[in-house]
Amino acid sequence: MPRSAEVVAPLPARGRARVQAALGSVRRLPLYIVVGLGAVLMVLPFYWMVVTAVSPAPDIIAFPPKWIPSRITWEHFQEAWVKAPWLTYYKNSLVVATVSVGLSVLFGLFAGYAFAVYDFPLQNVLFLVILGTLMVPVQVTSVALYVFLSRIGWVDTYPGILAPNFASAFGVYMIRQAIKAVPMDLIDAARIDGAGEARIVATVVLPLIKPTVAAVAMLLFLSSWNDFLWPVIVINSVSLRTLPVGIALFKDPYGFINYGPLMAGTVITIGPMLLAYAFSQRFMIRGIALTGLR
Amino acid sequence: MASIRHSAGALLGRAHRRHYLQAYLFISPVIVLFTLFRIWPSLQTLYFSFFKVELLKGRLTYVGLQNFIDLAQDEIFRRAIANTLIYALTIVPLSAFLAMILAVLFSEHFHLRELFKAVYFAPMVTSTVAAAVVWWWLYNPQFGLFNSVLRVLHLPEQPWLLSSRMALPSVIIFSIWKTLGYNMVIYIAALQAIPAMFYEAATIDGAGPFQRFVRITLPLLAPTTTFILIYNTIFAFQVFDQVLVLTGGGPAFSTNVVVLELYTQAFQRYRFGYASAEAMVLFLFILGVTVLQYFYSRRFEVAY
Repeated sequence: MPRSAEVVAPLPARGRARVQAALGSVRRLPLYIVVGLGAVLMVLPFYWMVVTAVSPAPDIIAFPPKWIPSRITWEHFQEAWVKAPWLTYYKNSLVVATVSVGLSVLFGLFAGYAFAVYDFPLQNVLFLVILGTLMVPVQVTSVALYVFLSRIGWVDTYPGILAPNFASAFGVYMIRQAIKAVPMDLIDAARIDGAGEARIVATVVLPLIKPTVAAVAMLLFLSSWNDFLWPVIVINSVSLRTLPVGIALFKDPYGFINYGPLMAGTVITIGPMLLAYAFSQRFMIRGIALTGLR
Repeated sequence: MASIRHSAGALLGRAHRRHYLQAYLFISPVIVLFTLFRIWPSLQTLYFSFFKVELLKGRLTYVGLQNFIDLAQDEIFRRAIANTLIYALTIVPLSAFLAMILAVLFSEHFHLRELFKAVYFAPMVTSTVAAAVVWWWLYNPQFGLFNSVLRVLHLPEQPWLLSSRMALPSVIIFSIWKTLGYNMVIYIAALQAIPAMFYEAATIDGAGPFQRFVRITLPLLAPTTTFILIYNTIFAFQVFDQVLVLTGGGPAFSTNVVVLELYTQAFQRYRFGYASAEAMVLFLFILGVTVLQYFYSRRFEVAY
């Protein structure tokens, strides 16, 4: 809430304002302590992951715990790197996430446009059916979906991993909501100018709803990138494993003795994502806030 | 094209007919994919739940309600239901409560606010599996950080994931860490939507910070709270990744949850029919919460 004494103070009162600002900071000390302590707890697992990954072996099991490594070593990364094909995992995650985002947004854009702009028979029924699938998560349908995919030979293939992500009800819904806010006059004007419907979607509607599309794409990318249950069900081959499947299976054979390489593996898995987040956190947080408040 | 020659009525008629086609053309990919990969498997799950499914032999044997009768008597499944409910009923209110407090604190202006907000949100963007692997190491009873710190402070060390009493709470602590940022961001956005004049008026009327919170913030956040509670509950029913990594459902089934149970039955014991019945029970739980949401959100529409 507005608490801007230090901002609006007129020039002659500068000194007093400074005192007030200082007082304000003191009053906010409990706030800093609570928020700061919480933040330390939030960061702690990430910090410890990195410290373990770069500490020499004796440091890892030392007591009292060594918060700062006695020296930095890359040997755990070397060990983790040769024990699993991380680049393959990255490639698979990237392919799966990119294709699911691309197709979901493309299909969602046209379906969202149709649901927002046209009147056609069965419109509401079809829309409700699509929304209804939100209620049936892959956790519920996994068994039957697996049986179906095994019949059409899609188990252990890229299309198999993508099957539940091909089209997103969430995407269709969000995009339709955004297009509903676009003035019909703009679309009609484009029609009078002779633009085809597909072209209107691409050149008139899309630029106007870019923030929603970006937020939806980001969320779909995140959920596909981090998805675990369905890939672990449908993938058998090492060469098709995505990152979450890779790290989960990396833990089992080596984990119980070698914590160093295991933490190096988690850094390899989530490090780049955390970095990407560090650079785009404002955008990501705004995207979540935008789509979460329905 | 040169459509000036047509009369307005004919033009509109033609445009509409074309738009029917256009509309169906535009929605057909979504409809086809949804039918194949969402709706069809949903109906199949219901169908399979009445059968013994032997995938390798390609054989379906109708067993009626037998799967459900077996489920009701299955000690392990009942335990999985109980664990899932305990998990949901603990993590959802705790995470929502902490998130609301944080969001209220974050509505103050202070230095590094955006940085702190980003820190709280960071677990949300990381893979649950990888984060759980890190926590598995933190929870290690011998060399893990948590027990090391307790030892330094001369506090009793904990068995964490190894004890059937503490394993589920340990999973819940992880999940709070993972979900807190999301709920906090939703609450922050909701708080920003509350007009400042409400607070100004209350302050003029002599309301203290606590009164302002109880009389203004809490009621105006009610729809957001409902959304968070419902959404988190549905999500909590689907918990799987962290349980598989942290405990594998143990010790002694103390952290076995419905999705893990379903996964084990289907993909390790190949009892697809039985697992489908378990999936139907999970669906009924989700349906129940969704129906609840429907009535609640209607009540709020009346209230405001």
